[in-house]
Amino acid sequence: MPRTTTLECPGCPPLRALTFDSLGLIKVIESRVPQVVERWGDPDPSKCVLAASIDDRKKDPLLAVARKNGEVEAVNPLNGEIHAVFSNVGEDGVQPEDDAISGLHLFRRERPSGKALHASISVTKTWKVCGSGNVLCSKVDGSENYAVFGGKGVEVNLWDLEDCTKIWTAKPPPKNSLGIFTPSWFTCTTFQSNDDHRKFVADTNSHQVHLYDISAQRRPVLSFDFRETAIKVVTEDQDGHTLYIGNGSGDLASFDMRTGTCIYFD
Amino acid sequence: MGAKRKKSESETMEDYDDDVVLDKKEKKKMKQMEKEKKKEILPSMIKNKEKRSAVHAKLKLQKKVEKRKKLKARDAEEKRALELGEEPPPRKIPRTIENTREFDETVCKPDDELFAGNDADEFSSVLKRERIPKILITTSRFNSTRGPAFISELLEVIPNAHYYKRGTYDLKKIVEYAKKQDFTSLIVVHTNRREPDALLIIGLPDGPTAHFKLSRLVLRKDIKANVLSLLRCIACRIMEIPTSHEPELVLTNFTTHLGHRIGRLIQSLFPQEPNFRGRRVVTFHNQRDYIFFRHHRYIFETKESKQGDSKGKNRKDGKGEKNTQQKVIARLQECGPRFTLKLRSLQHETFDTKGGEYEWVHKPEMDTSRRRFFM
Repeated sequence: MPRTTTLECPGCPPLRALTFDSLGLIKVIESRVPQVVERWGDPDPSKCVLAASIDDRKKDPLLAVARKNGEVEAVNPLNGEIHAVFSNVGEDGVQPEDDAISGLHLFRRERPSGKALHASISVTKTWKVCGSGNVLCSKVDGSENYAVFGGKGVEVNLWDLEDCTKIWTAKPPPKNSLGIFTPSWFTCTTFQSNDDHRKFVADTNSHQVHLYDISAQRRPVLSFDFRETAIKVVTEDQDGHTLYIGNGSGDLASFDMRTGTCIYFD
Repeated sequence: MGAKRKKSESETMEDYDDDVVLDKKEKKKMKQMEKEKKKEILPSMIKNKEKRSAVHAKLKLQKKVEKRKKLKARDAEEKRALELGEEPPPRKIPRTIENTREFDETVCKPDDELFAGNDADEFSSVLKRERIPKILITTSRFNSTRGPAFISELLEVIPNAHYYKRGTYDLKKIVEYAKKQDFTSLIVVHTNRREPDALLIIGLPDGPTAHFKLSRLVLRKDIKANVLSLLRCIACRIMEIPTSHEPELVLTNFTTHLGHRIGRLIQSLFPQEPNFRGRRVVTFHNQRDYIFFRHHRYIFETKESKQGDSKGKNRKDGKGEKNTQQKVIARLQECGPRFTLKLRSLQHETFDTKGGEYEWVHKPEMDTSRRRFFM
């Protein structure tokens, strides 16, 4: 990582970041004087944090944290108080260590079919996303009606959460000019903007970024390569067309999805 | 254009006004300084190579003579102060690159997070003596000249190490095979141009993969040749093939979190019960991100040192009253290979360059200053 420089930005609002690590600790970092301000939890490797999701509303914000031992905790992100703890052992008795949680989303509003309250969330419905393969990534869109799942050997699917049905699947990529078929391995996905559930981006283990539009076709509309290692994380910008990508060897870049050009690279 | 010229003239007139304000004496001093500066011609300003090198050599000699004078003066002062019974003036600390190392936030602090992390990491089972380290050594596909010699020496240094020929197996398959056979680490020696130049240490079963650049390899026969020519006494019998006692391990200067992790990786290669009677020590010393490997055998000796030579000579009573002090010192004899490692990348899981997640990769843009080190 290049040397970190500190720049004085008087107009920049103070940032507060929550980080989670493999020892189960939650640390709060503030940008006024860049340092770790608070640390919640005790170092315990069995409580390794696998996924987290925040609902940052003005009144009573909530943070959900999924841990390795199958527990899902609802935590107050301002002071670290634990509101509730759920256990996620599956109905068919699969142990949480074998069936690790790979994605988590905290629903903001109450759902007619489920019973979601402020302080406690109860799991109402579980369903199988795919027959075989591992689901590695998932994302729920801004309106919370649709969710996209993808994984190793699992093509990207779009599900309607009200009906719990699969409404769209992507087609596997065509064979290579050499006749080699690489099975799809999606590592992360995100919706391109909060309002539009039709466009989303999925990144693969072979350093490719695909943009899908379900109203257009089943193959990716736009796809490009990014460096040489697997892409580990992608997230969208609030303006709806910028995307931030991070890969396995520590490179960060931002792309404009309208054209597929790289805006900034680190 | 004319207007501009006028402005510049007026500016210069203002400068002259300022000059007039200065004292005449100060002006003279300034002129003298300028003259002296003009007299000192830097060697780099001379275009003629012979003359330039002559001037440079002269300058260097001057500096050397001055430095020697300073040192002599300092030593003389110290001696005088000791004789008088005063405290000698404190020695100045030289400024080194290690002294002026850039501040690193990742330097390990002994807190509970570090210990919990140690318990949770991949090496804890080996380091807590629950598993005995079993090493599999192999090579890259083409291996010749110094490679096999280096591997045979590694087999002697690391206890419980086994060598298998590489054949044409895929490295990922070798990793699976090693997991089945209960190996704890896999070492791959990579040869380039008939010279071993990279080392890949893979912890098993899910351990990290560390890729090192290997340089400055000196095999045991070359070390022996140097020292044998100097030794005349029978004590050279000691320098034979090192015994198979478990060695003691010395790891120094692994300060940051990355260094700590690499230190534990190296520690997991060796058995955790050193046999102190075997008097064998293996050292991995980290300095400026280079890890120096040395392998020594040591012997304890008692040395008699005389106290106060000048006083002893003046005494007429004889030799019986000399004050002798018994000091126990350890003499080292280097055996085994000697090489230097530099970490190129550390990957979180076993060998998978394309799909893997790297914990640390060296990129040229990270070398921002000469005083910045990562381990």
